[in-house]
Amino acid sequence: MSMDIVIAGFGTVGQGVAEAIGLRKDMIRETFGREARIVAAFDSRSAIHSEDGLDPAVLLSNKAAGQVGDEPLVDGVAFLESIDYDVLVEVSPTNIETGGAGLHHIRSALSNGRHVVTVNKGPLALAFGELDRLAKENGVEMRYEGSVGGAMPIINLCRESLMGQNITSVMGILNGTCNFILSRMDDGLPFEQALKEAQELGYAETDPSYDINGVDTACKVVILANSVFGIDCDYDDVDVSGITAITEEAVAMASDQNYCIRLIGEISPDRLEVSPRLISKGHPLSVTGTLNVAQVNTDLAGPISISGRGAGRMETASAILSDLLAIMRSNVNNK
Amino acid sequence: MMRVNADLYVKDVPGQLVAALEPVSIMEGNIVGVVHHRDQVMNDRIGVNITFDLEGGERLEKLMGIWKDRDVRVSRIGSVVEKFPMDYLLIGDISPSQLETILDEVRDMLGMESLDIRYSSVMESGSRTALINANFTSEENLSKAEDLIRELVRERDILAVRGLGV
Ligand SMILES: NC(=O)c1ccc[n+]([C@@H]2O[C@H](COP(=O)([O-])OP(=O)(O)OC[C@H]3O[C@@H](n4cnc5c(N)ncnc54)[C@H](OP(=O)(O)O)[C@@H]3O)[C@@H](O)[C@H]2O)c1
Repeated sequence: MSMDIVIAGFGTVGQGVAEAIGLRKDMIRETFGREARIVAAFDSRSAIHSEDGLDPAVLLSNKAAGQVGDEPLVDGVAFLESIDYDVLVEVSPTNIETGGAGLHHIRSALSNGRHVVTVNKGPLALAFGELDRLAKENGVEMRYEGSVGGAMPIINLCRESLMGQNITSVMGILNGTCNFILSRMDDGLPFEQALKEAQELGYAETDPSYDINGVDTACKVVILANSVFGIDCDYDDVDVSGITAITEEAVAMASDQNYCIRLIGEISPDRLEVSPRLISKGHPLSVTGTLNVAQVNTDLAGPISISGRGAGRMETASAILSDLLAIMRSNVNNK
Repeated sequence: MMRVNADLYVKDVPGQLVAALEPVSIMEGNIVGVVHHRDQVMNDRIGVNITFDLEGGERLEKLMGIWKDRDVRVSRIGSVVEKFPMDYLLIGDISPSQLETILDEVRDMLGMESLDIRYSSVMESGSRTALINANFTSEENLSKAEDLIRELVRERDILAVRGLGV
């Protein structure tokens, strides 16, 4: 008995997932007495499938040569519906206007009784409620730990470790690009130059607007609001301002008074907001560089802080691996 | 957080001062200052004035109870001010006179513990930065003040960067 996985999207994260599954092969077999096998993968143009499982190393070398598979991909949904599998790992590009191909892939998988693990924020920010219901109706799990905070396990922390607490709010730095830019501004760089440096170092996209305008953070606010607070909301419900209007004088003035400026996502039953905030230096939320951090405020335990790398191939893959193993654990007796 | 100032009378024997100060720590309070008034003597007791920060009114009640049990007399307790801080950095088309008029109004209307405003010089773009730190005596007044600032910001082309709040 194995857990059969399909990887939709074979870019940075998809390849990281294949590698992580390969790396943990023995550990998974020893722990669960079952194998986690990749039975199919596809990118924008090609697909590959084998009922007997595919070697992660072969997938990686295929992709290094151009395409992950040798079959042409016409339609991701049709491909998914033509094969048998247990879990879809959805890591195609994020599109927050339409949900992109990812939304169709996830809908198809859930409707057909397959579990889903994703870090694709578009479908979650636009259709969380619908997808969550679809998963429940079909008796499967949808997990998305890596969609917020990358390697930092904020969702599981809130939902599992802090079970029984009344969580009053979550505030966090959920976008490493903005944090890098603001940290460099602390060093005296003007915004434009800090942004340019982030692009040169590969932290910011060529079109950085989703990051610096707060859109990416807002998607994560929506995911936390739905998953931790049970607030049925989408992207339009978040009050968003970004960091483009922050001047070097403002940063210097804040710094003189022992503050720094950070882009904070705040989620509470009466506030869904993304905005630059003044943080006292030394506060848990005053981290520098590309780090992500979150402070969870609870009634019994008080404030709890967590930080970690918000993005990156293996960092994000680690969150996906943990979701896959959680599904394996909770379904260990079902197969 | 409230700041409390109290006049106590403690027996002039060793250990009594500790008996008076220790309960503040037990209640997780923070002692800010202690002044001995050896000249203020009443029924073999000497006067001690202490200032401390304490979370919430319930703890103050408990503290009074412990002092009573320990035979520490409280002759006056006052200036009980709970502080609600408001921190704002405003960036953009800020006119100091307008901002100060608004903050004066806020002060008259809502009462402020303290108010501190700093400005940067005006940039070429005409934009400037103002940093406001104020303390209010109630959460309600703090949120009213925040509403007023939000209104000001909406009317003009100003970015407001606010603190994390209480
Ligand atoms: N990178 C991170 O650190 C990180 C962190 C958290 C979340 N995420 C999310 O993870 C997802 C993947 O990110 P990434 O960095 O791996 O992106 P990426 O490197 O650009 O990879 C995207 C992959 O998706 C494929 N793709 C494009 N359109 C497709 C379609 N219609 N159907 C199937 N596959 C399609 C691409 O195919 P080609 O290879 O043929 O172009 C590529 O293989 C995104 O949603 C992103 O927001 C990423």
